[in-house]
Amino acid sequence: MATSCKKYLDIVPDDVATLDNAFSTRAEAKKYLFTCYSYMPKNGNIDDDPAMQGGDEIWRILYRRNGYTDMARGLQTKVGPIGEKWTILYKALRDCYIFLDNIDRVPDMETTEKRQWIGEVKFLIAYYHFYLVRMYGPIPLIKHSLPIDASPEEVQVSRDPVDSCFNFIVHEIDEAIPDLPLMSYDPVQEAGRITQVVAYAMKAQILVYAASPLFNGNTDEAGLKGPDGTQLFDQTVSKAKWDSAASASLKAIEICQSAGLKLYDYRDQNGSNYNQFHLSDTIVTQLTIRNAFCEKWNSGIIWANTQAFSSVQGIALPMMDVARPENHVPRGEMSPPLKIAEMFYTQHGVPIDEDKTWNYNGRDNLRTADSTYALYIHRNYTTAALNFDREPRFYADMGFDGSVWYGQGLYDDSHPSDLFYVQAKFGQIDALQFDRGSITGYFIKKFIHFENVVEAGASYATHDYPWPIMRLSGLYLLYAEALNESQGPGPEVYQYLNLVRQAAGLQSVESSWDAYSINPSEYKTQKGLRDIIHQERMIELAFEGQRFWDLRRWKEAARMMNAPIRGWDGQQKNAEDYYRPVTIFNQTFGTKDYFWPINDKEITANKKLVQNLGW
Amino acid sequence: MNILKPDKRMQIESLRRYYISLRCCLAQRNIMIVKLVIVLLVGAHLQAAANPLRFRNLKLADRKMSPIISNGMEGHSAIQTTDKNSRYAGEPTSTIQNIQVTGLVADSTGVPLPGVTIYVKANKSIGTATDENGRYILDVPDNAVLVFSMVSFESREIPVNGRKVINITLRPATTRLDETVVTAFETHQKKSDMVGSVTSISAEDLAKNPSSNLTTALAGRAAGLIAFQRSGEPGQDNANFFIRGVTTFGYKTDPLILIDGVELSATDLARIQPDDIANFSILKDATATAVYGARGANGVILVTTKEGAVGKAKLSFRIENSISEPTRNVKIADPVTYMKMYNEAIVTRDASASPLYDEDRIANTASGANPIAYPANDWQKLLFKNYTTTKRVNLNVSGGGGVARYFISGSYDRDNGLLKVDHRNNFNNNISLNSYTLRTNLNVNVTKTTQLNARLSGNFDDYTGPISGGAEMYNEIMHSNPILFPAYFPTDSAHQFVNHILFGNSLDRSGSGVGYSNPYADMVKGYKNYSRSLMQAQLELKQDFSFVTEGLSARVMGYTYRQSYFDVIRSYDPYYYQLAGYDKMTKAYTLTPLNEDLGTEYLSYQQSRPVVSSSFYLEAMASYNRIFKEKHGISGMVIYQMKGSQSSADGDLQQSLPFRNLGVSGRLTYNYDKRYYAEFDFGYNGSERFAANHRYGFFPSYGLAWTISNEKFFKSLKSVVTNLRLRTTYGLIGNDAIGSADDRFFYISNVKMNDPDKKATFGGTTGSTYSLDGITVTRYANSDITWETSREKNLALDIGLFEDLTITAEFYSQYRDHILMTRTVPLTMGLSAPSRANVGAATGRGTDISLNYSKYFHNGFWFQAMGNFTYATSEYKVFEEPHYDEPYRYHVGHSLSQTYGYIAERLFVDDKDVENSPLQNFGEYGAGDVKYLDVNHDGEITDADAVPIGNPTTPEIVYGFGFSVGYKSFDMSAFFQGLANESFWINTQPYSSENTGSTVPFVSDGEVLKAYADSYWSEDNRNINALWPRLSASGNKNDNQISTWFMRDGSFLRLKQVEIGYSLPKRIQQKLHATSLRIYANASNLFTISKFKLWDVEMGGNGLGYPIQRVFNIGLNMDIH
Repeated sequence: MATSCKKYLDIVPDDVATLDNAFSTRAEAKKYLFTCYSYMPKNGNIDDDPAMQGGDEIWRILYRRNGYTDMARGLQTKVGPIGEKWTILYKALRDCYIFLDNIDRVPDMETTEKRQWIGEVKFLIAYYHFYLVRMYGPIPLIKHSLPIDASPEEVQVSRDPVDSCFNFIVHEIDEAIPDLPLMSYDPVQEAGRITQVVAYAMKAQILVYAASPLFNGNTDEAGLKGPDGTQLFDQTVSKAKWDSAASASLKAIEICQSAGLKLYDYRDQNGSNYNQFHLSDTIVTQLTIRNAFCEKWNSGIIWANTQAFSSVQGIALPMMDVARPENHVPRGEMSPPLKIAEMFYTQHGVPIDEDKTWNYNGRDNLRTADSTYALYIHRNYTTAALNFDREPRFYADMGFDGSVWYGQGLYDDSHPSDLFYVQAKFGQIDALQFDRGSITGYFIKKFIHFENVVEAGASYATHDYPWPIMRLSGLYLLYAEALNESQGPGPEVYQYLNLVRQAAGLQSVESSWDAYSINPSEYKTQKGLRDIIHQERMIELAFEGQRFWDLRRWKEAARMMNAPIRGWDGQQKNAEDYYRPVTIFNQTFGTKDYFWPINDKEITANKKLVQNLGW
Repeated sequence: MNILKPDKRMQIESLRRYYISLRCCLAQRNIMIVKLVIVLLVGAHLQAAANPLRFRNLKLADRKMSPIISNGMEGHSAIQTTDKNSRYAGEPTSTIQNIQVTGLVADSTGVPLPGVTIYVKANKSIGTATDENGRYILDVPDNAVLVFSMVSFESREIPVNGRKVINITLRPATTRLDETVVTAFETHQKKSDMVGSVTSISAEDLAKNPSSNLTTALAGRAAGLIAFQRSGEPGQDNANFFIRGVTTFGYKTDPLILIDGVELSATDLARIQPDDIANFSILKDATATAVYGARGANGVILVTTKEGAVGKAKLSFRIENSISEPTRNVKIADPVTYMKMYNEAIVTRDASASPLYDEDRIANTASGANPIAYPANDWQKLLFKNYTTTKRVNLNVSGGGGVARYFISGSYDRDNGLLKVDHRNNFNNNISLNSYTLRTNLNVNVTKTTQLNARLSGNFDDYTGPISGGAEMYNEIMHSNPILFPAYFPTDSAHQFVNHILFGNSLDRSGSGVGYSNPYADMVKGYKNYSRSLMQAQLELKQDFSFVTEGLSARVMGYTYRQSYFDVIRSYDPYYYQLAGYDKMTKAYTLTPLNEDLGTEYLSYQQSRPVVSSSFYLEAMASYNRIFKEKHGISGMVIYQMKGSQSSADGDLQQSLPFRNLGVSGRLTYNYDKRYYAEFDFGYNGSERFAANHRYGFFPSYGLAWTISNEKFFKSLKSVVTNLRLRTTYGLIGNDAIGSADDRFFYISNVKMNDPDKKATFGGTTGSTYSLDGITVTRYANSDITWETSREKNLALDIGLFEDLTITAEFYSQYRDHILMTRTVPLTMGLSAPSRANVGAATGRGTDISLNYSKYFHNGFWFQAMGNFTYATSEYKVFEEPHYDEPYRYHVGHSLSQTYGYIAERLFVDDKDVENSPLQNFGEYGAGDVKYLDVNHDGEITDADAVPIGNPTTPEIVYGFGFSVGYKSFDMSAFFQGLANESFWINTQPYSSENTGSTVPFVSDGEVLKAYADSYWSEDNRNINALWPRLSASGNKNDNQISTWFMRDGSFLRLKQVEIGYSLPKRIQQKLHATSLRIYANASNLFTISKFKLWDVEMGGNGLGYPIQRVFNIGLNMDIH
């Protein structure tokens, strides 16, 4: 009976799934590889990406508050940190190491493929660390996986200095690169997986971060020390960091070129769509700017996040179609504040407060559009002077009361009055309401593919695209920035800056400033050129989820984000009343806001962990 | 007259005694005696037994029947006659001169008592029993002392002293000393022999509760039972109950429920008919539960059902009709107030925002201008009736002959809900729970010493009700907009040809199409049917081995049952319409259809996955029970048990594997002269959940008792203190139901091999993308995880005073260790599943006191009172948690259901007050929001300021008291029940699909409780002590923290039940051929004393759910022989 009793309770069959099964075949191991990828933060997702609504670039009506809008309103807290990634990314790291620890056991795989997968996972380890460093500053590095039964002393890890963090991240990428393919050779199934193009470009970006003021000799963080007194931020500024950032950026540009990447141009498309309409240059330039972001896998995309397909198109699009008032899928809620509208250049490619020909002080005055503006502003529509005579990116990236919105089923631009246009004053179709509409009077056009169509009922046909994490124009600007910091102004800096301006339909920085700026020699000084590059970057990558991080790494957030969020007065019916800027929120940003607070509970659970300053 | 030899004659006399006691016992429903008698009668000619007048001519066939008697009597106390030692050691009766004594035995009201046992004290074999008219005749020695005894009556000893006529009255037993209780494995033990801690509830008391749910009757009925009810919805109204509170943080905290030895669920217990119950016992301490091993770690509830008795068919019938209504309905603010407050909620938080409802609309709604254009829905009235009805019928037939006895019962309960039905539909969407039970208990005497019992029973619930359930309808009306649209539009001329109801709705704010909940539409659009059934078959074989050695018997019992559940939802998709083009002057309007494409006029069908489970159990038991030399009582038993179950409702492979337990347990008792008692028990149990080396656990326990009142030195006191007894037990109990029910096989890891949450996607440059699910570790292997063990101590004192009052007071403590708990691991470890170990420890301490008082008066008046009190506390002893700087944050030393939260001081007066107060870290706040106390004085409110607040959420004190009085045919009883030391929190957590009971106004169309409307902070009325803080249309995180602001005292005292009964006069009964006919009326929850007024306080934080019911019931109970 004794043995039968033993058997009676021995009910678990031998082939119950355990971790061993995850690496028993290539097919299962591939699932684990995908598991490692599944943790990628979802860029462009309003609930997962702090850079969308957590900064000063996109505002929302209060009715749509979520964690990140609360963060933008200064409600970040260490009790339940908003949008923290600490939990999920440390889980991701554990899975990455489980993968690395076990991949050797897979019997039916070729070594090259194994090495490629290992390279991908090593890159992800670097990327997840980088994401954490960007949020938290110095973090505890996970260089291997601790066993589940590790002692309490072992599991209580402490934060590594910033420089060690960056060194480790770059080291991991360097180790990964040789095993990665140059580019994706099976894009139908594999586009979005890590390649050398991605790895080199991200390495460049990471090194630029390491060289940027937030991490390079940041004296604000002098007080942040480990439990043993280790200085977590090196207090001396190192120019060498810019040197290596510049050379890494150049290397990345070369790799991109060798993989056939180039800046997107609508005209380059084989048999461009809608040739039959003989589209105007204005619209073609706009489409070049818009599609560079939302035409999936175009020639200028270095890395797009296939875990994060564009989810904001309906939220951003205003209704516009007066024939379909019942279709509420277009929400028109993603609202760039006035300061973002003012950030874009004039038609001459210089800032609005520097253009000799542009009336900066009269920008809030009313002005009615005549037919010369017909592709920008609906004919005879009265709107603010601010919306006149701006650069192509202003009209390609944003919509506003009276602005023409090309596409969405209407593709013939020969009769501009027939195209869709926005009407956002009180009582109009795109008006601000309690639960919908733009709180500032501006709308984001950049997110919306021009071939999306709002249909009858509640249907909205969209072209979805994986969210671009890095575009070639962004890499050019990184190089320009790093080169200017490391060597000062020079033709190579201008060259890469101008490549970006040219694609946006602007003159070179030299000729624009020379001809129109009240400060024509600005681009000749390192400081002046730095400001130009920064602004160029903020414009070029507007709404893409970069400004949030760039303002921080430049340590300019305290200056830029201690300003009111303003917009037009959406409660008003008449243009005279509507075009009075109102303050929507007085945003504040302190030194502590440069980094996330670590959850208090984690600090309690791990006494070796020090909290970020100010929290 | 006597033609038999004396010993034969005496045999017959004793047989006759038993037979008559059978009759009276039937009347008393004491089935165990019935059992005894039946076993006895097996040896006799049963035809004769059916007729007492022929009994005297009975020729006894065989005196070897005595073993059967003893078998039937094991542990039974009412009549001790078959002790061979005493029988043969007794004086030869022939040497004494006999006289014939006759007389009448009556009760204190003068009613003759049939079936009273009468025997000679010195020689129990001389005896008889009273006949139907309460008369007796007995030849006895002239110096004998006669003992008159009958169950439920006090025994009396009367010296004959040569008298030939002795008429006496018997008083109803009050001390219940001789009462037996059913303990583990259906052993009947005299209360006076108990060592462990067992409480019983009388089935009659349970029957007084006018509810179709037995569990609702438990609160306050037994010392040691913590019980409370949170919902009144038919089918969902099971009370929560715990024996001696909760002392584990594992998932299984409720007791083991055994019905005739079959392990069943609380719902199965809920469906048991009080009329079918023979015994209801609660096993509380280590020695009482030890033999159940791991299964009994949280106490045991033991129910045995009735069995048939030899005799003509006896029919018993009960019918009840009830009306029930909510004890209290939640009051909601009127629609105009709702709109005004909504606007205020928007503007008070964001001055630049535009209000939602314009003045025009508010004014028109207030004037009731046009209920179609300006609806003002009282959803509560639209959906719910004021009262509903319930029916209960129970019929049972029992009887038997020499070979077999039977008990067959059938019952039918119909509980209706409070929902209204729209008669335009041809189906019923109200809750209607029809529950049928059929039970057959069959006892067959296979041989003289072998008994075979077969029990078959089935319980079937057929339910019809609203699709998402009654509680959900109650929650939904609290989260539906009262003014946006009417429940439905009257059919206008444009729609005169449509066949559907024109339900109201409106375009959604957050998208397009229909987005609001119209609770009326949701209620009437369809219905859900579910069928639940439990079929069980049980076979038990008892063998008496007295022919091997006196007192030895064995038993094998096995059962299997199948449970099944399935539900079907049939519903149409309502057509929704919105008002359009309303003309204020002509009041003309048109209706815009909102979902022409989606609405249906026909029913669609949806089925959930049926759940089927099966269980199998086998036990084999040998027991030995004997008294040596009158003074040494020895008993012992050994039980082997194995159990397995399997269910179709599996989450994954590991869940689908059978659940199994295996064990051997035993009990050994010894008593000396009914004064000193010792008991030893053990359980040796195996569980499939643990690694092979930890699979088995040995859990011994022992107990000692001393009946002080049986000591010689106590004799002088005995007239006052009739009983005084001390008991103590100590033991170890194991528990394998640790962690969570889904968590099994701690020694192996569990991996989810296709986890959509870990999906990654690539490609899609042309055509579709390529995705694969990922892999997640859901459990890390830990082969060290093993039994949770509990060390339980019990100290008890039994006191009987003046034969009227009995008191049992018990004090217990438990120390549980090896409690499985999740370890504190920093997030940087990146674990995807908790890391756990047997490191926790907790104690439970408490007191159970019960009091019974009975008094019978000779004028036919009787009075009984009972009271009991349970105090159960728990405390963390070892709890792995971080090293806190603030000592008050540690759980150790606090109750297991202690809530931690913030101390709310008041509401902020103004923004200056906010600036001058510590920073609060929960989200936007300002004037009118809750101000919390900075306990650690660090200048901000963080987790470190959350302190233990309030009482535990499981009540620590549950008590009940009541009385019954009777005068001749009338009786009346009342029962009060209360609980104390419980806190609950008004649900202010944000509304979500998991938290539909949120009381937060406006969020997800939350209605405004009238209490909130009457007392809230506003800019005009800055009441810093208002019930509700500053309004917010989207909820305020600062205000909905768990804090003392919304903490309420859960204690209450309620008149749980009251009953008046009247037994119809005998002549009416006789006309109806009834032996007993009683009509009664009773009611439950007539009133409640509590400080809390928003809803029935017993519902705690679940206040917006289906309300607890007040029931008015009339019933009739009839027995026919």
